[in-house]
This record gives sequence, C-alpha cells and structure tokens, in this order.
Amino acid sequence: MRKIGVVSLAALAAAVALVASGCGADRAGQPAAKAAEKRCPAHALAGWQRLANRIHAPVYCPTWMPDPFDGVIGGQWNTINSVSPDRSYLIGFIWLEAGSGELHVNLRGYPARTRIPTCVDVNTVNGITRRTNIPCFSDPTSHLHVAGIDATVYTANQDADRWHVLYAWRHGGSLYTLSQHVAVPLTYQKVVADLDHMLRSLVLVRPSS
Amino acid sequence: MRLTRRRLLAGAAAGAVGAGAGIYELVDHLASSPARPVAVRRPREQHLLEGVETITDDGVEVLVPPLHHRVVTAKVRPGTDLRSAQAELERRLAGLDRRFEPTPAGLGVTVAWGLPYFRHLVPAAARTHLPVDLRATRERHRPVSALLDAVRFPSDPHDTVLEDNDLAVLLRSDDAGHVDEGAKALFDGFDALGQTSVRRGFVGGGFSGRQSLPKQMAVAAGVAGAELIPDGSQLFLGFTSTQRAAMGHGRIANLETLGYARDPHGYFRGGTTMHLSHVREDLEGWYLNFDFSQRVSTAFRPDLHSVRPNAQTVAQAPRDVSSERQVERTYHRFGAIGHSAAIQTSSRLKQRHVGPDGTVYEAGAAIPLRADFNTLDNPFAWSSQPTRDGMSRSPAAGVHFLVFNPTSDDFHRNRLAMDGVLPDGTKLRFPPGSRGQGFNSVLKTTHRQNFIVPPREHRSFPLAELA
Repeated sequence: MRKIGVVSLAALAAAVALVASGCGADRAGQPAAKAAEKRCPAHALAGWQRLANRIHAPVYCPTWMPDPFDGVIGGQWNTINSVSPDRSYLIGFIWLEAGSGELHVNLRGYPARTRIPTCVDVNTVNGITRRTNIPCFSDPTSHLHVAGIDATVYTANQDADRWHVLYAWRHGGSLYTLSQHVAVPLTYQKVVADLDHMLRSLVLVRPSS
Repeated sequence: MRLTRRRLLAGAAAGAVGAGAGIYELVDHLASSPARPVAVRRPREQHLLEGVETITDDGVEVLVPPLHHRVVTAKVRPGTDLRSAQAELERRLAGLDRRFEPTPAGLGVTVAWGLPYFRHLVPAAARTHLPVDLRATRERHRPVSALLDAVRFPSDPHDTVLEDNDLAVLLRSDDAGHVDEGAKALFDGFDALGQTSVRRGFVGGGFSGRQSLPKQMAVAAGVAGAELIPDGSQLFLGFTSTQRAAMGHGRIANLETLGYARDPHGYFRGGTTMHLSHVREDLEGWYLNFDFSQRVSTAFRPDLHSVRPNAQTVAQAPRDVSSERQVERTYHRFGAIGHSAAIQTSSRLKQRHVGPDGTVYEAGAAIPLRADFNTLDNPFAWSSQPTRDGMSRSPAAGVHFLVFNPTSDDFHRNRLAMDGVLPDGTKLRFPPGSRGQGFNSVLKTTHRQNFIVPPREHRSFPLAELA
C-alpha cells in the first residue's frame, strides 16, 4: 500500500528548494578540486560526528538536502535517528504538511557488512498473516559514479525506504544508502535529480574516538 | 526569487495540459512499422486480423500486434432510417476494404454493436436472432443472451461507468495514418452516427531491441513512473501479453466454435462478443512497490520461480496453465493468486475440442482473443459527455482493454476469476485493493461495455434489414 500521507504536494519542498537555494553550482561536472573542499556544515557536523563515534565507523554527512531539510541530526526535520545493536543506522528527515504533502529522505549505513539486508514482507489476508524474507533493496536499474562513490540505483525497496528510489554503495567494507520518497507532484526524474545532488554533496565523517 | 508552491503547481499543470493535447502527434515519429506478411484472404470474422507476424522472444512464440489503435463509440441518431444507414455504412466499410488489406500493414476494422442498439432499434428481430448462451442458460435456469449488459466486478470501483453505446468501431494498423483515414471514412459526414467517444492508444514496438512505443510515449507525456517502464516493454506493466499460447487461436472465440452459444438463425455465425473497458494503471505503485519477483508473482502466479531476472515474456503454454485447485493452494499458502493463473481457470479449454470447421483445439488452449492497447487518454481522447466520463486533459497511463470471447458471460467468468471467484464456485476472498489479488491493487476500471461483433456480411446495422 502507498505510504500514508503521500499526496499531491508531497516533496514539493524539494522542487522549491532546488530552484530557490541556488545550489546548481555543484551539479554534474563539478570540478574535483571543488568537491574536495566540501565540509560537513558546521551546524550539522556535531551530530554526524557523534553518530560516527557511536557506531565506530565512518558516516556520510549531506552538505546539500532539499529544502527545508538542513541535515542536522536532532534538528527540526530529523524524525528518525536509529542505531541498531549491529551498529547499522537509519537517519531520516521528513517534512509533512497535512493535506499538502510529504518530503522524506533516508540515509543508512551498515558497518562491516556489504550484503543487502533482508526485510520481512508481511501479507495479511483474511486474518492470516504470512511473513516472507525478501531483499530490502531490489530491482537495480542503473549505476552511477559520483564524487568517488559507485552507487547502484534500486527502485523497489522495503520498510522505511518503501516507495523510495534508493542509491546504495560500498565503502571501506560497509554498505551505505541514500533514498528519497517518490510522490506526486514530485516525479521520478525529480527525485533522481535530488538524489544525484545529495550524492554529490556527501562528505565522509570518520569516528574521532 | 523563491519559487512559490502556487507557481510550481501552475507550471506543472500547464506542462501536463500541453503534453496531453499533443502527445499523440509524437506517435508516428517514435515508431517505425515492422515488416509484415501479406494477407491472402479477407475472413468472414471481422475480429480476426490477417498477416500478424509471430516472433520468438525469450524462447516463447509471440504475436506482434499492430502498433496503433483507435476505438470510436457512437450512438445512432434518433429518426435514422436504418436501412439507408445500413447501406451507407456498408458502402463506407467496403471502400476501406478496397483500399486496405485486413492486416497490420493495412487496416483492421471491426464494427461491434451494443445492447442499446438491439433493444431500441431492432427489438423484435433481436429477440429472435440474438444468440443465446447455452452454458449460462443451463446454469441459471433461464434464457441468457450471448450479449449481456456490462456489470461491475468485485474489484471495480463503485463509480465505474457502465456505458450504453450503440456501436464501437475498432481500427488498428502499424500506420497511424491508416487509422486516421479509417475513422474519417466511416464517420465524417455520416449523420446517422453521433460519436460518443474516441479512444486512442498503442502497443509494442520493442521486440527489435529498441525502446518500445509505450515506454517512449509515457516518457514523452511525463506520466508518473514512466521512467520505470522497462525499455523494450510491450505494455506499460512490463510483460508481454500477446504470446501465442495465451491468445485465442483461429476461430476459437467465435460464437459457434465451442458450442457455448446457440445462434437460432445462423445470422451471427462467424461473429463473437467484445468487451471494452478503460483501466487506469498506477505505474509508480507497480514499479516502486513491487520488485521484479513480486511483479512476476502478481502477474503470473506466486510459485513461479524459474523466470529469468528482468524477463518480459514468461511462458504461458498449456502445460503452464493453473487449475482451480492450484490457485486455491497458492491462495492458502501465499495469501495471493497470480493474475494469469486465476484467469486461466476459466480462460483455457478444459478438454480437447473439435470446432465445426474441423479445427482441433487442444486442452489448455486459450479461448479469449485480446486486442488491448495502452493509452495516455484520461480516460478518453474525446468524449461527448466529458463530465460523466471524468475527462481530463492531463495524460494518464492506462489500458483500453479489449477482448473477444465467445459470449459476454464467458468474459464475465474470466474477469470474476481475476477477482478470485473461480469457475467451480470457489471464492478466494481478499480485502479491496489487496496485493494478493493480482494486478487489482494498481488498476482502476473507469468504464465498461459489452458488444457483439457480427460476421462481416452483417457488420452494418445488423438485423436492420429484418426490422
């Protein structure tokens, strides 16, 4: 079933942000030297650094996100901040306006593992519930190489990434993902553009302790 | 300057309107016609198209349907002199026959007539000449016509429009210009017929390794989820629907072939019935919510594990056909029934049958002959009742579902099976829109109507000469 609250203006903020924030300068073709200058924004660094320290592994800090997101863990739009016993994490940013729409971006990391995790598909028919193990990320449709990241694009994803387009890549023996929700009037193309932009903006934050 | 939400929406709406208005102009630029065999005869059956090429895709024989399709529905204007109109329509149809061979390279023309025509314009002759569905009559202990009013099925929305057109004309060709010419030749300046809708669409074009026509058209129109359609896909939902084994062969869908109908005077011998519906398709829901293996399970059957990743043509030969018990078992095991598996319980021959012309149809052979095509109509390209029909100028992914069955009741049985109501009376219950119920969770039917397709010699205002 479609995610709750996903209605006509969902992710409108993303479209507004792309135009309004003037962030076009670091789109495709960005010089490598400029990419190397990227820093996790000062107002967001502390949260990402705490996360890296907590899981004892590098994490990716987004230096650009669709408006109104600011990439601050613990900030106004960060509604999911979850670390599992296996040290995998899910950081989610959600903007939701009743009757208007939703914008949703997830960043995940799975330290010391590169296999695609397994999710449970739950199907209840006439009171009988069936659970089936399925890959959390399916239907790889393309690959892209951006700012040193080799990402695979997955279009059929589960759990918090359901109805999202998801980019997954491996770094240092760990699996990382970035995903965004597709909802009207934000098109698949627009979501991919947002993801491309965010992927190019990622900065690795290493544990300091 | 920040882009306001209102400005963004206004821009999106303007883009959508523009795409909707002119999108079909792209169709001839996007597709080139495949080479076609030459027709050698014009069959008695209007619904059969000659010269349809067969290719092999993923080791499965596939029929290559015409690229371009149009359906024009109409009502007979009050006060029409039926015999004059009969002669005039036949004159126009014969003109098209002389001009185009009945193949995809030429033009296929099928004229079908709805119950309102028979009830209101030729009621007495209809009572004595319309075929009777013997199987349905036997089961319901009352006379059941081979041509029935359309009904809403369990998975249909409550507001599905059950239409009341007098006739529908199906035009199909690899050349969109031929379809245009056909529509003009039949309807322009013909006062007896008032058009009620025009439905346009396309199918195929991807077997040669190119991007298919549905994919190109959907992307050009900017419909949601268009980019997710596999490049060579024959239809929006990603699977090939015209494989030879899944399509009714020869005259199997004729009224008389399987003995389902009794044609009291033989007037409709060589005819069939046709169901026409428009169904919206949620492409994002299909491709973002179902991974490939789930799409295979949903489109075919839940226990199908041997399909090559990203395959578009999946074997549906007689040996692959599911029985009621198999469908019931998958329902209890997986909480799901596959679209094809469920329909096969009623759409395939239970036993070998020899037709009146001596043709042998083996057990497991498909009975319905589909002629469905994708569309960007929302729901139609044009309607005489835009409010009732919910007309929108924004393009939307959908299918004009068109199928020929021996009787209307036979189609109803197939469609009920799709909803889990099997021919033996077994009812496999699902919540509305359940993923387990095949395609239903991503489909929404907006319109339905049944028609009868007379044989070629009675295609124009049937029974008018007896009225």
